Order: sequence, then structure tokens, then C-alpha cells
Amino acid sequence: MEQLLTANVASSMYWLGRYLERVELTLREIGKTYDCIIDVDKSAGTALYKKFNIDLEYTNAVDFLDKAIQGNHAGNLANLMVQARENAIISRTNIDASAFGEIIELHDFLQSLSKNYHPIDFNDIDNALSLISEIWGTHGKKGHRKYSDYFLKLGRLVEELDFQLRFNQKSDVLKTIIKDINAMIKVLNPEMRLVVDDEENMMETIYKTIDKLIVN
Amino acid sequence: MLEKSTELHEKFWEIFAKQDRQKIDQFKTYMDKFAVNFNLYKDGNFIEQSLPFDVIPRIISTQEFRKIEKGLQQRVTALNLFLEDLYTDAKIVKDGIIPFEFVERAGGYLKEFVGFSPSKKIRAHINGIDLVKDSKNDEWVILEDNLRVPSGASYPLSIRDTYRKIYPDFFENLKIEPIKEYPKIITDAMNYVNTGGINVLLTPGRFNSAYYEHSYLAEKIGAELVRAHELVVIDKKVYFKNYNGKKILVGAIYRRLDDDFIDPKFFNPESLIGVPGLVEAYLSGNVALMNAIGNGVADDKGIYYFVPKMIEYYLGEEPILQNAPTYLPYFEKDMDYVMNNMEKLVIKDVAEAGGYGVLFGHSMTKLQIEDLKATIKANPRRFIAQELIEFYDEKCYLNNELVNRKADFRAYVIMGEDVKVWNCGLTRYALEEGNYLVNSSQGGGFKDTWVMEL
Repeated sequence: MEQLLTANVASSMYWLGRYLERVELTLREIGKTYDCIIDVDKSAGTALYKKFNIDLEYTNAVDFLDKAIQGNHAGNLANLMVQARENAIISRTNIDASAFGEIIELHDFLQSLSKNYHPIDFNDIDNALSLISEIWGTHGKKGHRKYSDYFLKLGRLVEELDFQLRFNQKSDVLKTIIKDINAMIKVLNPEMRLVVDDEENMMETIYKTIDKLIVN
Repeated sequence: MLEKSTELHEKFWEIFAKQDRQKIDQFKTYMDKFAVNFNLYKDGNFIEQSLPFDVIPRIISTQEFRKIEKGLQQRVTALNLFLEDLYTDAKIVKDGIIPFEFVERAGGYLKEFVGFSPSKKIRAHINGIDLVKDSKNDEWVILEDNLRVPSGASYPLSIRDTYRKIYPDFFENLKIEPIKEYPKIITDAMNYVNTGGINVLLTPGRFNSAYYEHSYLAEKIGAELVRAHELVVIDKKVYFKNYNGKKILVGAIYRRLDDDFIDPKFFNPESLIGVPGLVEAYLSGNVALMNAIGNGVADDKGIYYFVPKMIEYYLGEEPILQNAPTYLPYFEKDMDYVMNNMEKLVIKDVAEAGGYGVLFGHSMTKLQIEDLKATIKANPRRFIAQELIEFYDEKCYLNNELVNRKADFRAYVIMGEDVKVWNCGLTRYALEEGNYLVNSSQGGGFKDTWVMEL
């Protein structure tokens, strides 16, 4: 029997997946870029954030970490985690209790970074990434997969696709992700299918499909 | 004043002395991590905060609790009979036990519902009864009945799990009654009155003060957590709107919002948190509401005075648990007493709740007392007066020291096929020493409650 799920919870699970995935992928890119800024390319951070349509200015590698994570821009990770936390609270009955606790912990951790006087260092990124791994691990541990989990996974995949479009655009990778997205959609509504004819408007097409998938 | 220590208390202190007190901080860590919150609005801002928790439990012996249990079963049975009678035949009024004026003026009385009888004639499904233990005679006294939307059960439920993890010694070495069956009691009660369909818990939403409790209980009782617009009424039947547009019939609603907001078509048209048409579906017998609409009349502070009389009238029994001595200025004799003894009485505005509208005569100035006397004379039905109960303090471990605080006890009484009393409850303590107000909205905290035997 299909799982009972309100549109609000379905949507919150989807957005929780997107925000957490965005935080994770951004942290990983920040980590790589930090290394590059040290002694390879000082402007690597500016180039990275251009892909997010953000103009980022910094003086050195450590300052890059600080500006990237808690700068006054749309990619501020502490703010993204506020959104993730909100979605987790709304859908908490469908989230593994430990995973929920780790989401709150990650939120509090990123909030605390902005209140600390010492500069953000690479260890903070490692800690945040460890917490995200724990969230995915504990939530994925459940034996029986529920429909709500598919919305979470769908959110992760859509975010991953968005990243791929910004960074690589390798068509085989894109095709694999779209195939996975379609598999999720099929489970959630067997009568629906994502058809992407035009690569340029791919995200637009996906959003329209998800709007049809979750009936408000 | 503390209750005389018993062997049960001694056993607790013996184990407590051996525990690592640094670990007490872990309770707060847990509550923050799992967002065990009680939310507040202050100066227009939404504040999420965890409820203060004290590690020293209230200990009640099994023998003592069984007596409380019987008293509560008796009281809630009578209250349910009263509600059913009042909204159908109103014999208790016709027989002169309760003046109709009292009923009519009670804020929660809804004359539009006269003649309607809900599923299985149960109206008082989930009840929170507030008690204190009087230090003068060692007896438990009922302070208040909450038959509308009593909250708080999730806090002791969730903290007990944590307690077992942080300090397992107590549970290994003491005979503490387990409390995990509470969600099952609620589910059984819901299933009993369910008219056919799924169970849901209706919440005002994310920004309600008790949203944590709503989501916690929904998960534990296996009901879908819904907001108003996630339900729809079609042909006098209530449906759950699934994410894919399918509509699934609802048979029972554990509602966590007040009557006034539950249906904008019937009550407050401004309500954005109600389900349009819900009352019509309810009156057609197509859905059960827990608790019933119109229960407010039974937990009105003025009607409280009559509960011992209800027990005698409906059950032909003497009340096992007593009310606090209460006076109704509405009656001339009581008015005289209140006017002449106001300095030692507690005056309560019947329209208020959550510790608001409670005035202690002993802490008022002469001018304030004169003002209050005039207000009471002008509107005697609006107030009740009670003797100040010197209830026991509980020991609390606050800021690394043992201190005494006034504490009450909210017992949860569930009516389904049977009347069951949860063998735990919410022990609430006052923020400051000597303060009699223990409500969470007044800054009070909570403790676990252990029903124990030797």
C-alpha cells in the first residue's frame, strides 16, 4: 500500500534532500578550491563562486573559507542549513530520529562558526562533512524504505543534477542522474515520467514535473 | 515544605550519590539536539526553546498511585457523563444540581451542539487533570480539569528514554513502572471511536507552541500529522489529501486546536487553521473528534466547583479525590466569605488559563483588594475563590545545588473502551522559590515522575 504523506511533508522531504545535498557538494568544492588557492591559483575561489552566480572576494585561503561559508550571499551555508532544519522539523515524523538529531547538530555547528572569534579552518569543513555522512548513513539504515525517503532521494538527485550542469555537463553523467530521477518518479507516481528533450531547459522541465508530482 | 522522605526516596538518593553529575548536562544537549521544544512568542518574535528539565524525579509509590488512579477514573467518568447529559437531556440541570446560569455562562458551553451525541458517547477522550499534594493532610487535591486540548505528555515520554540512557542504574536497581504504553492507549482510544477511516492528528502548524509534541505524538500513535488544508470535507465526510491527489477517508481526528478555530464555517470565520465543513461532518457522525467540541464547559473553573456533586449524582459514590475548597461569589453565602477573607484566598478569573488571571490575596495591597472586591461584586460569575493550598515542594537540582520548589502534577486520563490513567505524568515545578505558579508559560520546568514500589 502506498504511504500516506501530505504534500507539505513530501515537499519538505524533497527540499531537505536538496539543501543537505547542496551543503555537502558545496563543502566538497570549497575543500578542493581551498587547496588550490594556497599555492596553485589564488583566484580559484572567485571562479568557483561565479558558477553559483556569486561574486566572492577574499584575501587568502583562510579568508576564502570564511567568506564562502558565512559570507553575506545566497550560498551562505549556515543559512542553507536553517532551511534544511525547517524542512526537517516539518517532516520529522518521517526521518530517522538519529538522523534528525544530526541535522540539528549540523545546523547548530554551522551557526556556531559564525559566532566564534577564531577563523574557520579546514577541520570545521571536515566536521561538517562527517555530520552529513552520518545523516545519510543513519537515515539510510532503515530496513523498510518509505515513500518519504524517495522524496528525499529525489531532492538529492535534482540538486546533484543542478551541480553537474554548473560544473561538468558530461552528458553520460547527466543521463545517469536523469535515469535515477525517473526511477524515483516512477515509484512515486507510476503514471508519470520525466521527459527531457531540451538540455538547456532541463531544470525547468524537472521543476514542472515535480510540481505535478506533488499535488497541493 | 518537603514531603516526608520515604524508603523509596532513600533508595533514589543512595543511587544518585554515586552518579556522575556532570552527565546532567547531557539532558539539555539531548533536548536541544532533538528539538524537544516548547515555543513562545515574545515581543512579536517566535522563540524556540527547550523546556527546563530537572533531573530529580517526583517519586510516587505504586500504592499511592493506585489510589490516585481510582480517583481520576471516577472523576473523568463523571465528567464524561456530565458532558453527555448536559448536551442531551440536561437532567443534572433539571434536577437542580447545577444552576443553568452557570452552564450558560461558561465560556466553553456551546448550545448549538445540544442534541448531538458523539461516537460511543465519549467526549472526554484525553484529559489532563492537575493535582497537588496538600502538606496539611498529605492528601492529593484536584486543582483543575483540562478536557479540551491538554498538552505536555510528550515531555516526560521523551525524557524517560534519555534518562534510561544517561543513568541506567536507577532503572536497573529500582522498580520503576515503565511508561511506554501511553501511545498505545491513545491509539486504542482513537480506534475505539473511529467511524471508519484513518487516524490523523490535526496541528495548527509549525509555529504552535506545542508543535514538537504534535509531531512526536503523531509518530508514536501512528496517525498522520496534518494541518487544516491537508484535510478536505466532501459530502459531510473528511478526507486526507495525499501528496498524489488521492483522498483517503478519515475516521478519527486527534485535534490540537481549540473549538473556536476548528472550523471557519461554523466558528471563527477568520480562522486559517481550521477545516471548513468539519463540524458538519462531525455532527453527521462521519468522523470522531478527540476531544469533543464543547468540552470547555466541563473544565470551566466555575463548573469545577460542582464536580464532586456530579460524582455523587451520576455514580452514587463519594469522591475519592477532593477539590481544593472553593467558593463561588455567585452564591450569596460564598460572596460574604470571599469579601471577608480575601487576604488568605486565591482568586481566579474563570476565563483565563495557563496561570494567567490568578491572584493571591496575601500578596495584594489593600487598594488592590478593594478594587478586586468591586470587580467581583460587579461580575460574580467571572471569579472563583479558593483556599490557598500549601502543597508540597519537590527537591530540584538547579545550578548544581539542591533547592526546593513548589510542584504540581498533571495526570493523563484516557477514555476509550475503558478509562486508563497513564502511570506517569507531567510534574511541573515553579521557577522561583515560594512561587505557586508552575505553568510552562510562566517559566516553570518539568521533572520525570516515577511510580515505584519497594
